[in-house]
Amino acid sequence: MNPEFIRTICPYCGTGCGLVLKIEDGRAAASYPDRENPVNRGSLCVKGWFAHEFVHHPERLTAPLLRKGDSFVEIPWDEAIALAAQKLRDAAATYGPDSVGGLSSAKCTNEENYLFQKLIRAAFRTNNVDHCARLCHAATTVGMLQTLGSGAMTNSILDLAGADCILFIGSNAAESHPVLMGEVYKALDRGAKMYVIDPRETPVAKNARRLLQINPGTDIPLLAGMMRHIIDRGLHRADFIEKRTENFEALRTFLQAWPLDKAARETGIGEDVIREVAEAYAKAENAAIVYCMGITQHACGVANVIAICDLAMLCGHVGKPYSGIYPLRGQNNVQGACDMGALPNLYPGYQGVADPAVREKFQKAWKADLSDKPGKTVTELITAAGREIRALYIMAENPCLSDPDVNHVMKCLQRLDFLVVQDIFLTETAKFAHLVLPGACFAEKTGTYTNTERRFQLLHKAVDPPGKAKGDFEILCLMGKALGLSFDYATPADVMSEYANLVPAYAGICFDRLERAGLQWPCPDENHPGTRFLHGERFTRGLGRFVVPDYTPPMEMPDAEYPYYLNTGRVFAHYHTGTMTRRSPFLNREIEDPYVEIHPEDAAALGVGPGDRIRVSSRRGSIVTTARISERVVKGSIFAPFHFTEARANMLTNPVLDPACKTPEYKVCAVKMEKDHEAKAR
Amino acid sequence: MSLRTAVRNDRKMLEQVKQKARAILEKREADGVLGLRKGPFDVIHPHVFTASAELDALVLEPKWLFAKMARSILRGRPAPYRLAVVVRGCDERAIVELTKRSQIDRDRLLTIGYACDSDQAKACLCSRPYPQKLDAGTAVDGIDPFADERVKAFLEGEAAERMEKWAAQLRRCIKCYGCRNSCPICICVPCKLEDDVWVERGVIPAEMVSFHLIRAFHLSDTCVACGACQEACPVGIPLMTLQLSMRAALKRDYDYEAGLDAERKSPVLHDFIQEPRSGQQVPDWVDSTGKKP
Repeated sequence: MNPEFIRTICPYCGTGCGLVLKIEDGRAAASYPDRENPVNRGSLCVKGWFAHEFVHHPERLTAPLLRKGDSFVEIPWDEAIALAAQKLRDAAATYGPDSVGGLSSAKCTNEENYLFQKLIRAAFRTNNVDHCARLCHAATTVGMLQTLGSGAMTNSILDLAGADCILFIGSNAAESHPVLMGEVYKALDRGAKMYVIDPRETPVAKNARRLLQINPGTDIPLLAGMMRHIIDRGLHRADFIEKRTENFEALRTFLQAWPLDKAARETGIGEDVIREVAEAYAKAENAAIVYCMGITQHACGVANVIAICDLAMLCGHVGKPYSGIYPLRGQNNVQGACDMGALPNLYPGYQGVADPAVREKFQKAWKADLSDKPGKTVTELITAAGREIRALYIMAENPCLSDPDVNHVMKCLQRLDFLVVQDIFLTETAKFAHLVLPGACFAEKTGTYTNTERRFQLLHKAVDPPGKAKGDFEILCLMGKALGLSFDYATPADVMSEYANLVPAYAGICFDRLERAGLQWPCPDENHPGTRFLHGERFTRGLGRFVVPDYTPPMEMPDAEYPYYLNTGRVFAHYHTGTMTRRSPFLNREIEDPYVEIHPEDAAALGVGPGDRIRVSSRRGSIVTTARISERVVKGSIFAPFHFTEARANMLTNPVLDPACKTPEYKVCAVKMEKDHEAKAR
Repeated sequence: MSLRTAVRNDRKMLEQVKQKARAILEKREADGVLGLRKGPFDVIHPHVFTASAELDALVLEPKWLFAKMARSILRGRPAPYRLAVVVRGCDERAIVELTKRSQIDRDRLLTIGYACDSDQAKACLCSRPYPQKLDAGTAVDGIDPFADERVKAFLEGEAAERMEKWAAQLRRCIKCYGCRNSCPICICVPCKLEDDVWVERGVIPAEMVSFHLIRAFHLSDTCVACGACQEACPVGIPLMTLQLSMRAALKRDYDYEAGLDAERKSPVLHDFIQEPRSGQQVPDWVDSTGKKP
């Protein structure tokens, strides 16, 4: 048998690399980089090279499972779908439409996300639909909407190669978006300056001109100090501010409170260094700001994002090539899941649910009565479980590992009358379900993902789902029909043509145009080539708006009882809740066990050596993990990756939310540590 | 520095390759022809053509080396199965090296060789952009990679300066294993890069000596200068420059060039214990003191 080669898109991060899967005897046998994909052009990171490894894992779910006491029994699909529909309907009938909620998925395709939010909205007349963007870039969407008018990355990945100055703030792209770093290094080879602002010495920082290890959560003091210095030195772009923006005086007034010495005091960074970075950014012909969770996962995440937008507008580094603001999307399709309206306040294309004209448009298109009341967010849905929320439909999300304070999450999920989870493995979350529906992974479906640079890209089905598992598109169509909706879509392409009609920015996008290089939205008509950068002639909202970024220090600071800062994040070989990477032998071999990074001086004070078992506790929970002694963290801070079910970093994290976007403050909480004498040394 | 190959569009040469392949299949000289196929959705992928009617879909670009794939196909199909492979110069050299190491049964493997053009030679830093057995196209001269600015930048200057340049490049490594995965010669099982004795797990950037230099030296006498490692490197490390220096030293001191002669054994295995056939006792590239011996 000749092997077959199918072109598709990597299922991991938001970079969106093209993969070619080698299929032998119906199985994905190898992954190669797609040389013709404009994003990765023949390269991959280690996760991409081994993306096929989890596809045929023996633990894949192969049939619908119904809870019977403490275990699950297999049931036929028709029974499963009928039961799910009936239970969800029962909850709505008994407790009202807003007692039902759904978590859509940044792992699933645009078409599946569109169907999921339509199903929740049209079948139950509620806007209780959200997904894990809430836990990552909700702050970006909210903050950038206020300042620029669009929450998307302003430029394209390739623009980074032409930047003269690049600021990385709270982004460890070398581990989290590795392939994209190639463009950054091209810029450095041209002589560009790169500065990294991060409390940790990440692999990105190793290649920087300078690393600014700010005190945790002091991004606004730093950015404010930089802006104040830029204005004081007259380095701001007065012409750009005059012509393209509004409300500059408010920012100027706010900055009166942020003289350089105060910024230096708050951040722990020398005044001369702040000056150097501010001047390098302001004086560069083209400058880019790359940021990620280090900015958004704070109780003042929205204000952090606003401060970044303010800085970019102040220097005119937005709305042109080789510059801009790069909120790197973490998941393969988190951009798309937002675009498709898997958000409690927005329909597809960021059209507000509370806007009567918009609601009218969707009611007409969907032939359904829709709610005008914004729904609950991820964390609100889970906290309300068993109270206002009685039944929950979770598609390919794993809040029992990914949400803050997972002990609380698990308690909440157990209070539900009905929980249906659709996934590819029996995840920590699926274990709490009453009903589990076996879905399909990236290699088993056709559809589109949208990467971090707004690029729609096509997936081609390469292999069949295992056993009786079905594609999520098919499951959603069955669910929709069981709930009385006319979900008669023959293919995902039909779904795309429906949403392309409802969202002007996607009007020119269709499957046939995506084959080679995909298309970057906005793409308003069938001849439009797609959009490399936003805000060129005018900002999406008209004038760019300077907004005052109000500074709030982290909510839980170290004290006598819990004396250390905990920071959480990703590592290069694993991905999020580890359901896929930890089942990939090659990736799991790289990092098999959970760990925390501890500064040598802290380790010495605790009598902890490398490889020692250590107990880390916060006010919310406690884990036992392994110590890695490392100067990558500063004294008084520790870092824990959140991928590991046996030592869940999110047992410790603080569920306090940014009030505007409801993103939790994953990046700072207070913990204590002790050497674990009971556990055997490994 | 990233290395991206230039794409050639030579219809005449493509027709010559197809004719040759057709003849091989029709005369039953081989059971299949391994080459590139433009398949459904325009995806270009390796394919074993088994009927001449299929050959309309055969293409030659982009560069894709088949040596390792040919090895696994032959291993999965015992004699009398025979395979023909469409090869450019570097791929033919890789097949020679695998044959030398008893990885390929050369009696069951035919090649259809075609030439690269000057642009491709320049893009790939290739000094020999054609196979020894040329069936299609016209051979052009290769370039001298050591005259190329992209290579000179990393080989010139004082040792400390060079060290800093290399360290700065290798610090970018994201440990994707793409250099290893894409290499047409890397076949060791288990791979040294997966050996805890040498390479620390779970850490990026991968360590310079234990990861990168082990990999480079492991291939010092095998590397056929195809550039696949550098092409696959997401962060543009000039990996081929490392190999080119070692290839040049073997050429100068032992008159040895990997990939040309399946009979001649590597001097690393056979001649290091003896006097070199010519040239210096200690090649330049082992000198880290900055002083010429």
